[in-house]
Amino acid sequence: MNSMNNTINEIKAALKPLKMETPAFRQIAVVVKPDTVHNALSYLKQKGFTQLSIVTCVDWIKESEFELVYILFSWTEGIHIQLRARIDRDKPVMVTATDIFPGAQYYEREVHEFFGVEFTGNEDAAKPLFLEIWDDLPPLRKDFDPQAYSDSKFPMRERGNEFVSEIGGHDDE
Amino acid sequence: MVLDEKDNRNVWEKIGDYFSANSIWMKWYCTGCGAIELPPTMTSRYDMERLGMGPMATPRQADVLLITGYLSTKTLRRVIYSYEQMNSPRFIVAFGSCTINGGIYYDSYATIGRLDKYLPVDLYIAGCMPRPEVVMNGFNELIKMIKKGQAKGWKHYQENYEWYKKNQLDSLGEVIIKDEFHE
Ligand code: SF4
Repeated sequence: MNSMNNTINEIKAALKPLKMETPAFRQIAVVVKPDTVHNALSYLKQKGFTQLSIVTCVDWIKESEFELVYILFSWTEGIHIQLRARIDRDKPVMVTATDIFPGAQYYEREVHEFFGVEFTGNEDAAKPLFLEIWDDLPPLRKDFDPQAYSDSKFPMRERGNEFVSEIGGHDDE
Repeated sequence: MVLDEKDNRNVWEKIGDYFSANSIWMKWYCTGCGAIELPPTMTSRYDMERLGMGPMATPRQADVLLITGYLSTKTLRRVIYSYEQMNSPRFIVAFGSCTINGGIYYDSYATIGRLDKYLPVDLYIAGCMPRPEVVMNGFNELIKMIKKGQAKGWKHYQENYEWYKKNQLDSLGEVIIKDEFHE
């Protein structure tokens, strides 16, 4: 537990977080300003948080903000850290983490594809990853309406007698 | 698809259908959750090989394309590729409510609604997920349909190719597969 307290104090001193909490056993959640995310990540990597488990995004549409979430894990200490930062929803830009964690490439591409966040310094971030030919708003934004998109693109079966008679057609024995 | 009941096969086609009905090779395109019902159907519990059916490794050698569940647009492109590689006569069996009307993914931006807009489905097996008994029953039905010459989906595809192509393009943008892993 001591190493946990030490880590918390060191991180508090180094990152000067806006908010810090320990949501569960050996887990730390840190909220920082968006322009310090890159420094914070490289600091944490030096501290032994060598595994970047995920980069993802939350759409806070009422506050008009996106919240980027980075989850790191230290194999020497057994501590998870969640690093969060809020960016402007209308102009979502973040500095890439691929120079610190090369594996962030795919997460950044995913976040770009599903939320439209730009990652400066990552040229490949705009390449399509899951959606092959996408022609609408990024689909995980809260103002995207999946039902309307689905209705316009993928016609549904009309409900009527047609379906019943199709089944009847096989019943001839 | 509405079945055309008139049997206008010549004698060779009848013989061909008789034999192909008794030795059906299937390509399993296991897209959705449904694939999990196929191992019990294939192995000793239900043993579909007693109907003369078996899995096949490539679409070029298979008679039946088995689509087991929801199709994202990305998968549908690959399914269309697989289907077009198959030799006639070729049949499609579609599993699960997802292929019928979208199932629980009816409002998804990524999965299609009904499969028979894009490919000619000969037989639907309803359920979410259909149990192996239903699957076996469906295969029995398919064998009967092939023997009687009622499984004409592939002819329908040839005759209405423009209609199918148009639906595919409307929903998918383009059918050509371009991704970084195949470049
Ligand atoms: S019909 Fe049900 S079991 Fe089958 S793919 Fe859809 S959700 Fe899954």
